[in-house]
Amino acid sequence: MSPTYYRIRRRVLDRLADLLLIAIILLVLFPIFWMIVNSLRTNQDILTATTLLPQKLQFHNYRDLWAQVDFGRYFRNSLIVCGVTTIVVSLLATLSGYALARFRFPGADVFGLAVLGTQLIPGILFLLPLYGNFILIKKRLGVPLVGTNFGAIVLYTAFFLPLSLWILRSFFATIPRELEEAALIDGATPFAAFWRIALPLARPGIVATAIYVFLSAWDELLFAWVLNVKTIPVGIRLFVGQYTNRFDLMSAAAVVSTIPVLVIFFLLQRQMISGLTAGAIK
Amino acid sequence: MENVTSVPSRTQPETRFQRWRDTWSRHRLAYRMIAPTVVAMLLVHLVPTIEALYMSMLDLNQYTLGQFLRAPFIGLANYRFLLLTPDNPIVHGLGQATRNTLIYSVAVNTTTLGLGMVAALLLNRRFWWRGLARTLILMPWVVPTYAVGLLWGMMWLRERGAINVILVDWLHLLDQRPFWLIGPNTLWAIIIPTAWRQLPFATIMLLSALQTVPEDLYDAAVVDGASSWQRFRYVTLPWIKPVVAIMLLWGMIFTFFGYNIVVMMFGNGGGYPGEWGDLLMPALERQSFRYWLFGLGAAASTLMMIGMMFFVFVWYRTFQSSLTQE
Repeated sequence: MSPTYYRIRRRVLDRLADLLLIAIILLVLFPIFWMIVNSLRTNQDILTATTLLPQKLQFHNYRDLWAQVDFGRYFRNSLIVCGVTTIVVSLLATLSGYALARFRFPGADVFGLAVLGTQLIPGILFLLPLYGNFILIKKRLGVPLVGTNFGAIVLYTAFFLPLSLWILRSFFATIPRELEEAALIDGATPFAAFWRIALPLARPGIVATAIYVFLSAWDELLFAWVLNVKTIPVGIRLFVGQYTNRFDLMSAAAVVSTIPVLVIFFLLQRQMISGLTAGAIK
Repeated sequence: MENVTSVPSRTQPETRFQRWRDTWSRHRLAYRMIAPTVVAMLLVHLVPTIEALYMSMLDLNQYTLGQFLRAPFIGLANYRFLLLTPDNPIVHGLGQATRNTLIYSVAVNTTTLGLGMVAALLLNRRFWWRGLARTLILMPWVVPTYAVGLLWGMMWLRERGAINVILVDWLHLLDQRPFWLIGPNTLWAIIIPTAWRQLPFATIMLLSALQTVPEDLYDAAVVDGASSWQRFRYVTLPWIKPVVAIMLLWGMIFTFFGYNIVVMMFGNGGGYPGEWGDLLMPALERQSFRYWLFGLGAAASTLMMIGMMFFVFVWYRTFQSSLTQE
C-alpha cells in the first residue's frame, strides 16, 4: 500500500487517541466538578436540580460551614499536626536516609529490611496497644497523648519515617559520591561533607519527601479518630454524623479539605511527582 | 586498660562489649544519624507489635480493659475462636469483610493498572496539550481520601445522586434506579471511587516508566516487522515489568489497609457499611473499639498481618527474576 495510506491511517488513529484521552479526562474530572458545583448550590437546589449548573451561584455554604462547626479550629489543628510532623520527619529521614545510602555499617541490612517491614503491619495492630500505652502514660506520667496534637505528632512522626527515609535514601544514592570524597580529602569531617555538600544537592528530594509526609498526614483518619485528635478528617466525620442531609455543607467541607492539597499541587507539582515515583520505584 | 594492651589478651578473642564498642566507634556517624529513627521505630512499631502479639493471647475485653497487659492469659483461644466458630456473628462479619477486602483489592488494582496503562500510553505521544492533559488526569489525586468517600457517597444516592441522575434520567440506560449503597452493589460503590482516586498515581508511574524505554529497542522491533501490539507485548511490557510489580505491591497494601473511603461513604461516617461494603480495617476498628474487644481485635489483626506477609512472599516469588535483573 502507498505511503499516503499509512500517513492517513496514522493521523486518523492519532485523532481517535485524542478523543479517547479527552473522554477519560472528562470522566475523571466529573466528580470534582460535581463537588465544586454542589458546594455552590443551596441544599434545596441539590435535592431538586436536574441541570448540570446551579440556577444561582452562592457562596454562603462556606461561611455557614465556618460558623456552624468551628471549622477554623480543625483547620488550625491539622496545620499544626501536619506541619510539625513534616518538619521532624524530614529532618530525621534526611539523616537516616543519608546514612543508609552512604555508609556500610553492621546492621544496615537489618535496618533497611525493618524499614520496609513496617509497611506490612496493619495500622490497627499497633493502634490497640498504643491506645493502652497512651492511657497508661497519661495515668502514670501525666503526659496527655490521647486527644492532643502532641500525641498525633509523636505517632505520625514514627509512622511516616520509614517510607520517607526510603525515598530520601534513593535520592542520596543518585548524588555522585565524588564531591563528598573530594571534600573529605580537603580535610572536611564526614558530617561536614554531608551537611555542606550532599544536603544542598538533595534539596529537591527533601522537598518531595516533605510533601509526601504532609499529604499523608493530611489524609490520616483512623488514628486521629480513635485517639480523638481534632484534625480536619475527624471534624468532617463528626460533622457528617450530625448534619445528615446537608449536602451543600458536606460538599463545601470536601472542597475546603481539598484546597490546601490543590495549592501544594500547583506550586510544587514536579517535586510532588518525583517524590512519589521515587518512593514507589526504589 | 592494661589488660587490653598487654600481649596475651591480644591473641585472645575480644569480649563482646569490646567488639561492640569497636564497631560503634568505627561507624559512629552512621549510628548517630540513624539513632533517632531507630528509637522512633522501636517505640511506635516494634514494641506495640510485640505487645499486640501478646495481647492476642489475652482475654482483654471491656471488663478486663483496666488490667491491660495483666488481663487473663488464654493462650490461642482468640485464634481458635476466629478460625473455628464461623457461625458467631462477629467472626461471620469479619469473614465477609475479608471476602470484600480481597475482591476490592484485586478489582481496584487491576482497574487502575489497566486504565492507567491506557492513559499512560495515550499521554506518551507528542501533542501540544500534553502537559495540560497530564495535569488534568492527576486531579483526583488532590482530593483527600476521606473527601473521596464523602463525595462519592453523595454521588451514589438513589434519588438525587449524580450517578443515577445521569444513568437513568439523562441517558435512560436503566429503567429503574438501582440502590448503590445497599446490597451487593456496594462493592462497586467502593471499588470505583478507589480506582478513580488511584488512577492518577498509576498513570503517572506508568508514564514515567514508559519514558525510560530506549527508542532503539522500538526501532529494532520495527525493522523486524513487529506490529504495534507486538512491540507493546514484547518490548514495552518486559521493560516496565519491575515498575508494574512495585506498583502492584504498594497498590495491594493501600487497598488491603483501606479505611477512609469506606468509612466516610456509609452511614454518615459512623455506621456499618453493610455486608458487601465492609472492609477489614473498618470492621476491625469497629469491633475492637466499639465493643472493646482488644484481645480478639489483636488476634484478628495478627492474622491480617500474616495474610499480608503471605501475599508479599507470593509476590516476591512471582516477580523475583524481573526485580533482581536491574
